[in-house]
Amino acid sequence: MKIVLQNLTKVFPSRNKKAGEEVIAVNDFTFEIPDGKLIGLLGPSGCGKSTTLYMISGLQKPTGGKIFFGDDDVTELSAENRGVGLVFQNYALYPHMTVKQNILFPLQNLRGADKLSKEEMLERALYAARLVQIDNLMDRKPSELSGGQQQRVAIARALVKMPKVLLLDEPLSNLDARLRLQTREEIRRIQKETGITTIFVTHDQEEAMSISDLIVVMKLGVVQQIGQPQEVYDDPQNLFVAKFLGTPPINVFDGKVEGGRLYIGDAAVLDVPGVADQEVTVGIRPEGFVPDENGPLVCRLNSVEVMGRDVSVVSSHPAAQTPAIRSIINADCKVNSGETVSYTLKPHKVLLFSKTDESRIYFEVK
Amino acid sequence: MSSTNHVTMHERDMRRVSSRQTVGKIVSKVMVYTFLILMAVIIIFPFYWMLISSVKSISEYRLSVPTLFPREILLSNYVDAFQQANLGRLFLNTLYVGLVSTLLSLVITVLSAFAFARLEFKGKNALFAALLGTMMIPGELFTITNYATVNSFGWMDSFTVLIVPFLVSVFYIYLLRQNFLQIPNELYLAAKVDGTSDLKYLWKVMIPLALPTLISITILKMMGAWNSYVWPRLVANDEKYQLITNGLRNAFTDSTGDVNIPVQMAAVAIVSFPLFLVFIFLRKYIMKGVSRSGIKG
Amino acid sequence: MVESKHKWKAWLYLAPAIVLLLIFTVWPIINTVRMSLLEGYNSMSAVGGATYSFGIGNFKQVLEYNYFLQCLGNTMLLCVLTVPLSTILALLIAVCLNAIKPLQRLLQTIFFLPYVTNSIAIGMVFAAMFNMVGSAFGGENEIIITAGIINNVIEFFGGHAVNWINAGSSYAANVVVMVVYIVWNALPFKILILLGGLQSINRQYYDAARVDGTSRRRVFTRITVPLLSPMLAYVVITGFIGGFKEYSSIVGIFGEDMGPAGAPGRLNTMVGFIYDSLSTQQGRASAAALILFGIIFVVTMINLYVSKKKTHY
Repeated sequence: MKIVLQNLTKVFPSRNKKAGEEVIAVNDFTFEIPDGKLIGLLGPSGCGKSTTLYMISGLQKPTGGKIFFGDDDVTELSAENRGVGLVFQNYALYPHMTVKQNILFPLQNLRGADKLSKEEMLERALYAARLVQIDNLMDRKPSELSGGQQQRVAIARALVKMPKVLLLDEPLSNLDARLRLQTREEIRRIQKETGITTIFVTHDQEEAMSISDLIVVMKLGVVQQIGQPQEVYDDPQNLFVAKFLGTPPINVFDGKVEGGRLYIGDAAVLDVPGVADQEVTVGIRPEGFVPDENGPLVCRLNSVEVMGRDVSVVSSHPAAQTPAIRSIINADCKVNSGETVSYTLKPHKVLLFSKTDESRIYFEVK
Repeated sequence: MSSTNHVTMHERDMRRVSSRQTVGKIVSKVMVYTFLILMAVIIIFPFYWMLISSVKSISEYRLSVPTLFPREILLSNYVDAFQQANLGRLFLNTLYVGLVSTLLSLVITVLSAFAFARLEFKGKNALFAALLGTMMIPGELFTITNYATVNSFGWMDSFTVLIVPFLVSVFYIYLLRQNFLQIPNELYLAAKVDGTSDLKYLWKVMIPLALPTLISITILKMMGAWNSYVWPRLVANDEKYQLITNGLRNAFTDSTGDVNIPVQMAAVAIVSFPLFLVFIFLRKYIMKGVSRSGIKG
Repeated sequence: MVESKHKWKAWLYLAPAIVLLLIFTVWPIINTVRMSLLEGYNSMSAVGGATYSFGIGNFKQVLEYNYFLQCLGNTMLLCVLTVPLSTILALLIAVCLNAIKPLQRLLQTIFFLPYVTNSIAIGMVFAAMFNMVGSAFGGENEIIITAGIINNVIEFFGGHAVNWINAGSSYAANVVVMVVYIVWNALPFKILILLGGLQSINRQYYDAARVDGTSRRRVFTRITVPLLSPMLAYVVITGFIGGFKEYSSIVGIFGEDMGPAGAPGRLNTMVGFIYDSLSTQQGRASAAALILFGIIFVVTMINLYVSKKKTHY
């Protein structure tokens, strides 16, 4: 089922009445989520991503705007009538029920024409349990399960009623690093198998990039960019998105454009045809550096970390906004262990942003 | 997953569902408030009845159709109640017993709780467990022997007999010990290093930090004195040593047949009033103390 | 040596408590057991040099004594009626209170009011409300002048006045009055504990249930009650313990005769029985007290066992 958010806005009244300030959690969010895709809502904490998720679920009412499931306006519909599956950050498994009872619980709520027989319920519960591979744990209580297992039970409970939309709130944040990798693949697989439109919220860009069909980057209630993960990574629309995506993060320099050339410090590092003369913020992805003895960008070399396939070079430059510049280069390229290291830059890994509003300045890559 | 139960809803259905939702919500809110307010009225009515009855004349009280607002307010009932039941004397008795027993009880409780929380000695845990064990036993079981004991001590009809047997409350010791335990032991060790004496540390650090618990104990103990009935009835038949609740019963059950209910209600109101005052001003401490203790003060 | 100094200090701090506990708690426990096992023990004649044979005669005598059985019956009846009733009512009130925002604090305060009252004093108010004012001692046909506010209300709704507590009243009517009063008195504590419990339940369970379209009833029976079960168990246990020690609320309504005029002792309880025998028949009183302790102990254990089985998660 496709989901349409139309000018969705959520304003929380201020806790402090005297100040009278309102908090705009989500501001004018318009987006069409295509059917059967896995969408990652991404942003730092407090960016309104969870609020958006709760509005889609119906647990919170939008202050303005509309939500459509397919062609149906569900804005005024409360959570129980929307047919969504929601997995909470801390799973919210009922502690007094076994795994089986937890999974059966939503089915037992069905009334009228939707009511299922006992056998049908069990069959569906077992199907959902198999899907997340916990069918051998059906008689345990949540307290007897590991974090990863609890997570699967929560997903099974959300899936068992065959929701139109599956919503996951920070699904991996309570898991340890190893489980996180495994579980995110699992989520991808389950989503593919069921074909249910799935939206998940995360603050971890790597997590979002790795499994999403589309990612939505948010900041302070405002959507920054929507697109396929690689596309957003390669072509961020502003400095925030550029900084937020990528590990190691993008390296940021102060620079200026003069006569179609980009200067960092006094060195002209790149031709940027079609850009008017101005001060700019320069972002260079770690993989955009090529060691070159005659390269124009000369940095003080701090350390070289060998990470097997790649080498990470940590250096510094007076025009950089951070004390350390981190570049990732192929281990085959030799880096001389001297005082300095010089680079030439890969043009498509260099991003320019306006100093005034941090928006992207495009230039032609030859 | 194909699904039969989520057939696409049309706009009209949606609107119907959502308006049903709103109506359902309003109806349930109305029901909840009606129920709560009805129950609140039932809870409060006896107090109201006590108040209005206490200012009615006996003839107005006996009207076959009762008045919900008294026609005339007769404060003389209160004067009568005060005199007939000698409530002034009983009030002072109760105040004296309450204050002295609370004060002594606090000292004993604080010292014991400190010993159990901070000091190391042989048999501490066994002793503490034994103390907790006695909490299971109903107080009535002790009363039989205590009655004989105070009799043999020659304590009958005295303030001593009203105060001493109830000075130690295992429960309060337990409550305060738990509170003391939450205070980090490092504070105590630091104080030791600085050469602070135990008593000074207790007075300067532990007591201020455990103040809310101590206030709760004080209130519950005072309320206990105010409401105690059975024990004073057993051991203090002399009016010189009776407590306020006894006076209430004595004064109005002895008269046969026609009890002057307005005067009786005035007496009840006099006894209840201080409790309400305490409640209004110290509500927080009482409710906290009660939810932790679960015993009637 | 800090440690060794503490040893005698600790005992010094504990001394007042220990001395008092030895006299007023430990000795009574020993003595009660002793007296209960000396047949027909009476401290007056014991001082006079009388000796008693050792045995369980007191227990047998008490359990065969009709009046004790009546007291036991009254106590049990009041317990069985008031504990479930007050618990269910308190649960309903607590759930409703938890569901509202405006007026919550005010109502919460009102519901707590009965707690800070004197059960003798307010018992007298209840007695007045259920009372028949006027000459109730006359013949059957004598007109009652005023029937007390409760009867006024009943008549207002077209019912017949009931003789609740006066001379000639029925046992059933007396019990109804006691149940009403005891429940009224028991509500505040239960509401306080249950509301506290409700407020500590993670809101997310309710959100999860809502997303799954759970009906109110089902949320209540399948989520609220099970998650509240430790609090419910606590409230029920303390309710039973309090119920078995019921005494002063009956004094409040019926006076120390423990029954309506003309039928003294009709509503007496186990505690009342112990007090009656306290100064003259210590053997009997001790046996009764130990039986009371036994009952409370067993009920508590059963409750703990059941609630442990039911609330394990």
